[in-house]
Amino acid sequence: MMTVIGWLIGLSMFALMALLVVHVLFALLLIVPSWRIFERAGYSGLYALFHLVPVIGPFIVMAILAFGDWPNGEGKPVPRS
Amino acid sequence: MMGFDLAAVLGLFGLTSAFAAIALVLAAWMCWRIADKAGLPGWAGAAAILLTLTGIGSVVSLILLWVFAFMRWPRDGVARLAAVGVPAAAPPGAPAGAVPPSPAALAPPAKALADRRGWTLAGGGVTLAFDDGRAAYTLTGEGSGAPGELVVPDPSVGRPHARLLTAAGRIGLEDLGTPGGTFIDGARLLPSHGPRDITAVRAIKLGNVELALSRT
Repeated sequence: MMTVIGWLIGLSMFALMALLVVHVLFALLLIVPSWRIFERAGYSGLYALFHLVPVIGPFIVMAILAFGDWPNGEGKPVPRS
Repeated sequence: MMGFDLAAVLGLFGLTSAFAAIALVLAAWMCWRIADKAGLPGWAGAAAILLTLTGIGSVVSLILLWVFAFMRWPRDGVARLAAVGVPAAAPPGAPAGAVPPSPAALAPPAKALADRRGWTLAGGGVTLAFDDGRAAYTLTGEGSGAPGELVVPDPSVGRPHARLLTAAGRIGLEDLGTPGGTFIDGARLLPSHGPRDITAVRAIKLGNVELALSRT
């Protein structure tokens, strides 16, 4: 009985670690471009690490960029003349 | 039988779908704003997110995120200002407080149409009219009698506060680093940004004074 429980705990830990690794790898795909966007906007690239927050991380990142005043200035679509 | 109620599970899925729909709309709205701030059409940002609704899935959105991060944004004034003839912003390594020198003359764009109209800055109890007869004007809170001064008498306006640069049919604005700050359509302009093209801008703010920009 104890062996089965041990196996179950081990398997759960393995699954949890695998999930964590996949989450971090996927977050990296978002962190790299977001880091550059933050730096071009004038913010610290560290804000891109919010992507590590599960589920709501990308929304935090988007909210900062969408509703904050960009220190490097903001542009408008160039009018065609 | 399975330990849970089927209706409850379906209800949970319905709730999840509602959250997903709200999240999608919210994300599209925020991406619209982000694209707009980068100088791109806002609909392009929203469309990038709404692509996840299609069969292509979110892979395209991810690719577009990478493209957006590394592409040249219209907001980056170098290309626009180069077209106008206004010098680009000071390099990042420039010492703090250093103001780029005023250009001796601004070259007109290659295919500019003849436009003899001037501009008007109105607000805070003053109306300032100017044209491209001069290459540069100084916006200041107190006049010193120097030529090319545009006086906005307000304690929050620096002495001098900002520089207006003109070229055929175009106009640029450069902040000179006063505490009151300079804003273009609500966005802060810093001295490190250098001159910015404000030809298509409706309002600028010097300190606490909001000035509407129009052609005369």
